[in-house]
Amino acid sequence: MIDLIVAVLRTGTPMIYVAMAGVLAQRAGVWNLGLEGLMITGACASVVVTEQTGSVALGLAGAIAFSVLLSALLWLVIEKLKANPIIAGLGLTGLGLGGTDFGIQAVYGSEGAVTAPAGIPTLGPGFGPFGVLDLLVIAMPVMVFAVWFLCRRTRFGLRLTASGEHPFAARSVGADPARMRLIALLLGGVLAGLGGADLSLGGLDIFSTGMTAGRGFMAFSAVIFGAGHPVGAAFAALFFALVEFLGIKAQLVFGENAPRDFVLMLPYIATVLGIWISARLRGGALLSATEMRDG
Amino acid sequence: MRARLLAVGWAMAFIALALILCGIIFQASGFSAPDMFASILDGAFLSDGALLHDLRWACPLFVSATGVIVAFRCGYFNVGTQGQFYLGGIGAAVAVAMLPHAPAVLVTLAAILAGMAFGALWAFWPGWLRIRSGTDEVITTLMGNFIAVLLLVWLTSGPLKDPAGSGQVTSSPPIPAAIRISTDTGVSGWIIALTVLVGVVTWILVNRTAFGVLGGLAGRNPVMVTWQGARLSRLGLGAFLFSGATAGLAGAMEVLGPDGRLVSGFSPGHGFTAVLIALVANLSVSGSVVVALFFGGLASASLYLPVIAGLPSAAIDMVNAAIALFITARSLPAWLRLPKRNRS
Amino acid sequence: MASALACDGLTVRFGAFTALSAVSLSFPRAQIHAVCGQNGAGKTTFARACAGLLAPSEGSIRIGDALLRGGQVKDARAAGVELVHQSFALPPSFTIAEAMEFGLTGQRGAVFTRRGLQARWQPHLDALGVEAKPSTRIRDLPVETQQAVEIARALAGNARVLILDEPTAVLAPSAAAALFQRLTRLRDSGVTILIILHKIREVLAVADTVSVLRGGRLITGPDAVADLTAGRIAAAIIGHSPAKAGDAATETAEDIGALVGTDLPHGHRHTVSAPHAIATLAGITTKPAADGQSLQDISLTIGAGEILGIAGVEGNGQRPLVEVLAGLVPLTAGSVTLDGTAVTGLPLAARRNLGLRIIPFERNTEGLSLSSPLWENFAARGLLAKSALSLINPSALRRAAHAAFQSWDVRFTSVDNPARSLSGGNAQKVILAREMDDAAKLIILAQPTRGLDLGATAFVWQAMRDARDRGLGLILISSDLDELFDISDRLVVLQGGRVAGQFAPPYDLGRVGAAMVGDH
Repeated sequence: MIDLIVAVLRTGTPMIYVAMAGVLAQRAGVWNLGLEGLMITGACASVVVTEQTGSVALGLAGAIAFSVLLSALLWLVIEKLKANPIIAGLGLTGLGLGGTDFGIQAVYGSEGAVTAPAGIPTLGPGFGPFGVLDLLVIAMPVMVFAVWFLCRRTRFGLRLTASGEHPFAARSVGADPARMRLIALLLGGVLAGLGGADLSLGGLDIFSTGMTAGRGFMAFSAVIFGAGHPVGAAFAALFFALVEFLGIKAQLVFGENAPRDFVLMLPYIATVLGIWISARLRGGALLSATEMRDG
Repeated sequence: MRARLLAVGWAMAFIALALILCGIIFQASGFSAPDMFASILDGAFLSDGALLHDLRWACPLFVSATGVIVAFRCGYFNVGTQGQFYLGGIGAAVAVAMLPHAPAVLVTLAAILAGMAFGALWAFWPGWLRIRSGTDEVITTLMGNFIAVLLLVWLTSGPLKDPAGSGQVTSSPPIPAAIRISTDTGVSGWIIALTVLVGVVTWILVNRTAFGVLGGLAGRNPVMVTWQGARLSRLGLGAFLFSGATAGLAGAMEVLGPDGRLVSGFSPGHGFTAVLIALVANLSVSGSVVVALFFGGLASASLYLPVIAGLPSAAIDMVNAAIALFITARSLPAWLRLPKRNRS
Repeated sequence: MASALACDGLTVRFGAFTALSAVSLSFPRAQIHAVCGQNGAGKTTFARACAGLLAPSEGSIRIGDALLRGGQVKDARAAGVELVHQSFALPPSFTIAEAMEFGLTGQRGAVFTRRGLQARWQPHLDALGVEAKPSTRIRDLPVETQQAVEIARALAGNARVLILDEPTAVLAPSAAAALFQRLTRLRDSGVTILIILHKIREVLAVADTVSVLRGGRLITGPDAVADLTAGRIAAAIIGHSPAKAGDAATETAEDIGALVGTDLPHGHRHTVSAPHAIATLAGITTKPAADGQSLQDISLTIGAGEILGIAGVEGNGQRPLVEVLAGLVPLTAGSVTLDGTAVTGLPLAARRNLGLRIIPFERNTEGLSLSSPLWENFAARGLLAKSALSLINPSALRRAAHAAFQSWDVRFTSVDNPARSLSGGNAQKVILAREMDDAAKLIILAQPTRGLDLGATAFVWQAMRDARDRGLGLILISSDLDELFDISDRLVVLQGGRVAGQFAPPYDLGRVGAAMVGDH
C-alpha cells in the first residue's frame, strides 16, 4: 500500500504541477495544449543545466526560465497575433518536442539521452519508504493549495476567472483580460517548468528525447476532468498516475501474458471516458472549443 | 481574388516569421542557420531525385489534408488524423493478411476499402461523442492518436508480426509485390490516380454540393443552421467519417505503396503535417495541392538531413512546429480565432 | 458649480464609421440626466466613452475637475464613474458576493474567506434593498435581480456618477417604476445619474434633464424636462421629417408614437373574413431549459391573416414557445398542429417544408452567420430542402440572392461580402427576404425590431402587415409593449410559462401590465 502511494505520488507530481499551469490558463480563457511542450522543455533544460553547471538549483531555474520563455511566446502568438490557441498550442508542443530533440543532438551528439550528476534532494533514508520522495513532491500539496487560494480566495483570482468566463465584464471593471492571460501563462510557465524538472530530476536524473510521452496532454485532460478546479485537476492527475501504476503492476504479475500495450492505453481511454462523462454531467459542450468560434 | 491574395500574403509572412524563429534556435544551438536552411532546401527540392521524393510524401499528405479541410470547414477540430491514418494502415494490412489466396487486384481493392473503413471508424467514435454529448473532439481525437500508436505497436509485435523480422523496429511481413500499389519509390499510376480522385471528389464536395455550403455555414455558426432546420448530427458525422476515411486511405496507400508492410510507428508526423497543410492552404482544396508539395519537400528533407548532410532531422520537426505556432495568425477565417466580444 | 461630467467635442470612430461626432455636453451634479435617441444614434457609445471603456478619437471628457484618459476604465472608476450595462456584465458562475468583490479597487480585502466575503456584502445589499443572498450564483437570478446586483456592484465603491444603459429594456412596467424610485433616492443622496432611455414616457417620469442624440450628433440638451413636452422631444429624436427615415415608411401618427414611446397605442380591431387556424398548440408542457424557462399547459391558436402578439417580461417562456413551434425542444405533454398537419414529433426541416418560417431572437447568431457570405446566408433555407449531396450551382444561387435582396431593398455592395458588413436594419431585411417567401404560411418573429432604427422598424412592421393581409399567420414576440399594442390583432401575455391573459384591442396597459407580473 505504501509502495502504491509513493509510486503514485512520484508519477503524479510532475503531472500535477503541469496541470496547475493548465488550470491557471483555463481560468484565464486559454486552452493550453502547449503544456506537453512546456513540460519536456522543463525536463530537458533542468538536466542540461544541471549537467553543465553541477547545480540542481540552477537546473530548476533553467527549467523555469525556458518554460516561461515559451509561455510568453504562446501568449504573444495568441493574444497579439490572434492565432488560434489550439493550433498554436499544438505548435508549441511540437516546438518543445522537436527543439529538445534538436538541442540534445546539437550539444551531445546523437545519443538522445543526457544524465545529470545529481537530482532534486529527497527526504532521505530517515523517512523509510517515503525517503525517495523529493522536495517538489513534498511541496506539491502546498502548491495546489496556493493555486486554489489564488483562484478562489483572492480578488486577483476572481478577475482571472472573469477574464476567461466573461472578458467584457473583466474589462468593465478595469481589468485587462489580455494582461490577465499573460500573468496566468507566465505563472503557468513556472509551474510547468517545475513539473518537467520533477519528471527528469525527480527520477533517474536522465533526460531522453520524448520522455514526457503524452504526460503534458494528460495534465491537460486532468484540467478538463477537474472542470478547471485546482483540487479536482490534482486528483485527476493522481488518478492517471494510479492507472499507470496498476498497469505496470499487472505486467509484473501476469508477465508477458499481459498485453502491455493495452495497459499503456488505459490512461488515454480513461481520459476519453472521463471527459465523456463530465460532458454528459454538464449537459453539453460547456467547455467545448467550438464555443470559442465566432458566429 | 484580392482577399485570396491577401490570405496568401499573410501565410507567407507568418511562415517567414516561423523560419526566423527556427533560424535563431539553429544559431543558438551552434549551427549555422544559413547552412541549415541551404541543406533543407537541397534535401527538399534541389538534390537529385528530390522532386520525386516530394511527390512520394506529398500524395498521402494531400489525401489526409483533404479530410482535415472538410472537418475543419464544418467546425470540427479533428486533430486525430495521425490515429486515423494508422488505423487505415492497419486495415490494409489486416485485409492483406486475411485474404492470402485471392486475386491480387481484389486484395488491393479490399485493402484500400478496409483502410478507409478503419480510418472512418477511428473518426466515428469521437464524432459520435462530440455530437451526442458535446464531448470535446480535440481531446478525444488526440487521445485516439495515442491509443492508435499503441495498437500499431501491439499488432506489429504480436498478431501481425513478421516472424522473419529482426532489429528494433517491428513490422508485419512484406506485402507481395503484386498486391502493392507502388514500389519503394512511392510514386506510381495507382497512387497518383487515387490522389487526384480524392482531390477532385473533395473539391466538388466542398464547392459544388449543398453539404459544402451548409457545412461551411455550420462550421462558422452551428446555431444559425440549426434554426434553418439542419440536423447538425448528420452534417457533423458526415464530416468526421469523410475525414477519417481519407486519413485511412492515406494510411493504406503508405502500407500498400512505399512501405510495403505495416511498420510500427511509420510516418510519425503525418497527421500533424496534414493539419498544417490544410491550415496553410486556408482550408482550400486547390491551394493545398501546392502546399502539400512544399511540406512533402520538407518531409523528404528530414530523411536527407541526417544521411547526406549529417544534421539532426529534428530541425524539420521544429520548422513544422514553428509554422503551426504562427500559421493561424490572421490567415484563417475569423471563426478559427478567439472571439472578440463586441456587444453593442 | 462644476459639472459632474462634461465632454467637449467628443468624437468616436470605429474604422470609417463615426458613432459619435463632436458631442459637447455638461451635466450638473445630483440630477437625473436622460440621454435618448433612436437605435444607432450613438447612445451606448456615449455611455461607454464616458465610462472609459472606449477611447475617444477626438475631444475630451472631464469628470469633476479631472480629465479622463481615453480607454482607461480604471481612471474613470477612480473618479467615481460607474456603468451599468444593458446586457449585464457579470460572470454567470460568480456568487453575488464574488460579483461585488471582483470589481472592487483598493488594497483592503484583496484576500478573503468565503464567509467573510458574504458578511461583508450582506449589509450593502440590504442597504440597497436587494433581496438576495450573497451566496446565490448570478446565473440563478431573475433578470431584475441581476440588474439590481449590477447596480449594487456599481455602487460598491465611491460612485459619484452612475451611468445606466437602457435599464428599462428588460423590465416589466412595475419593475421599471421601482427602479426609478431607487434612482430618485440615489439622486437625493447626491449621486449624479446618466440614464440612457428609449421611451419618452420614461424620460418624463424620471429625468430632470434630457439630451437627444441623433446620428451621432447632439441635437439638444441638457434641457430641463419641466420645460418640455413629449411632442418636442419626439421631434428632436426623429428629426422633422419622419417619413425620410425609411423609404417604405408611411407611418401613421400612431406608428410614430409607438416608435418613440410617447403615448401607448391601443391597437385596432382588424377583422379577418372566415379565419381558419394555421397553427394550434394544445396543452404544451416542456421541461425547464438551462435558463429555467419552460412552458406549462399552453394552448393557443393562430389564425390565418392574423398577427398574434406575445407579451411578457423576458424569460417567461418566450424562447421555449418559439423552440416548441420549431420542434427544437422535446415536449413532455401536448401537441402541435401546423396547417392541418400534426407535426408534434417532426423535425424543423419538415415543419419548414409545411410553410413554417422563423425570425429568431438573436439576429447576429441565430439568424445569420456573420462571417459567411450573404448569398450563403440567403441560400441556406433552400439548400436544406434538398439532399445534402445534391449538386448546386453557386453562381445561380448568387443571382437569386441578388434579386431577392434588391426586391427587399437591402443596401449591399456584393452578395459575396460577409453578413457582418451590413447594418442591423439591412441584416434584418436579409432575414426577412429569406423567411418571408411565397411558400410561407406561419411566420414567427422574435424581437424582430430590437436594435433597429425608426426607418427599419417601420419597414419590418409594414412587411408584417402586408404578410397578414396576404392571409399568413404571424406570431410577434416582443418586449416592447408600444410595438405589440400598435401592431397585434390579438395579445397573449406569458408569465411563468403560462398564458396569463388574452387581450383584444383596445388594449389597457394596466391590465396587460398586471398580467405580466402575475397579478390577476
